[in-house]
Amino acid sequence: MAQAKNPAGGKDNFTRNLVIAVVVGVVLIMLVPTVLSKKTNTSAAIPSSVSVEDGYGMVFNKDVKDVPFIEIYEDFQCPSCQRFETISGAYIEDLINTKQAKVAFHMLSFLGAESQLAANAAGCASDQGKFLQFHKLLYANQPPENSGAWSPSYLTTLSLGLGISDKAYDKCIANNSYKDWVVNVANEGAKRNVNSTPTVFINGKEIDRNKAYNSLAEFMLAVKKA
Amino acid sequence: MKEKFIVAQPWIGLFARLILGGVLFIAGYLKVSAPDKSQMAVRAYEMLPISVANALGLILPFAEVAIGALLVLGALTKYMAALGGFTMIIFIVAISQAWARGLNIDCGCFGGGGAVAPGETKYLQEILRDTGLALLAGYLIRYPVTKFAVDKTTVNKTVNKKTGDVA
Repeated sequence: MAQAKNPAGGKDNFTRNLVIAVVVGVVLIMLVPTVLSKKTNTSAAIPSSVSVEDGYGMVFNKDVKDVPFIEIYEDFQCPSCQRFETISGAYIEDLINTKQAKVAFHMLSFLGAESQLAANAAGCASDQGKFLQFHKLLYANQPPENSGAWSPSYLTTLSLGLGISDKAYDKCIANNSYKDWVVNVANEGAKRNVNSTPTVFINGKEIDRNKAYNSLAEFMLAVKKA
Repeated sequence: MKEKFIVAQPWIGLFARLILGGVLFIAGYLKVSAPDKSQMAVRAYEMLPISVANALGLILPFAEVAIGALLVLGALTKYMAALGGFTMIIFIVAISQAWARGLNIDCGCFGGGGAVAPGETKYLQEILRDTGLALLAGYLIRYPVTKFAVDKTTVNKTVNKKTGDVA
């Protein structure tokens, strides 16, 4: 424990101080871009049918009055989200098509790079009027997390099955055109205190985590009650 | 016995440094590339205002990397051990309150985190692990002189004083 000042210690401390400077420097160089990339960019390009005031969500039946408002926070790579889509996806689509609900999809990207690519591609698909179809197709082809399967070219090829063959669409995916929008969606989800996926609110209230996520009947009941 | 400890003490210190520093470094490293997830993990403890939790979730992984790397290299051992021990105590408090309040979350210590299904929590193991790491930190605060550290000056000087055989 003897830590008295050592007058001859200057030389040795040089190595130590250099090590400290390098470590702190490297960490700061990593930290700064991360902090900057997490900033909400209010002038970000946004896909069609995105509603800024609804947390940058992809909104259907925005102006339909007196219907339940269903907000879904999900990540394309999350297996529980795939399960929720399998169980209740068709019902939600039906609610949208028959104008019985206002629905907002918030595609989060916390699981990593491929979630980010997928969310961006969903924005591109929305511009082609194919968001719901793309959403369903992607869940049906969900690989293990960050396995490298969802590359831009894979996403482009997959969309051919939806009848999308537009150069602008391919470019939108390849250029990651809605990158900033994806960040904005993530930030709004964070502000909303969304701590797991899927998280579903009906008229602002989260549905019962023990029941309504895993049962179509319970989910339909929750919608009917709203 | 005491003499034996004097010989072993810097080696035990090296072991403590590598374990505590290594765990902190790896834990931080696994989280730096997934800031959204890290923020989610901190929010899920429901201890802090959302904006504070989000800021902490962004910065904490980088702080862990820095503290871990400095401990492994043995720079400012005493102070880094104090910081590392402090974070362990905070983690223990945070996990304990989540357990006591019946939250169902993953600690998010090595990535992951956020809400999990009831019955999938591992609070006891997480608390025991962090307690062990806090004890290592305590040892390093008490005996900051360790083998193969860049804190060279203090090593030589102290060993010199106690045993008289190291230059």
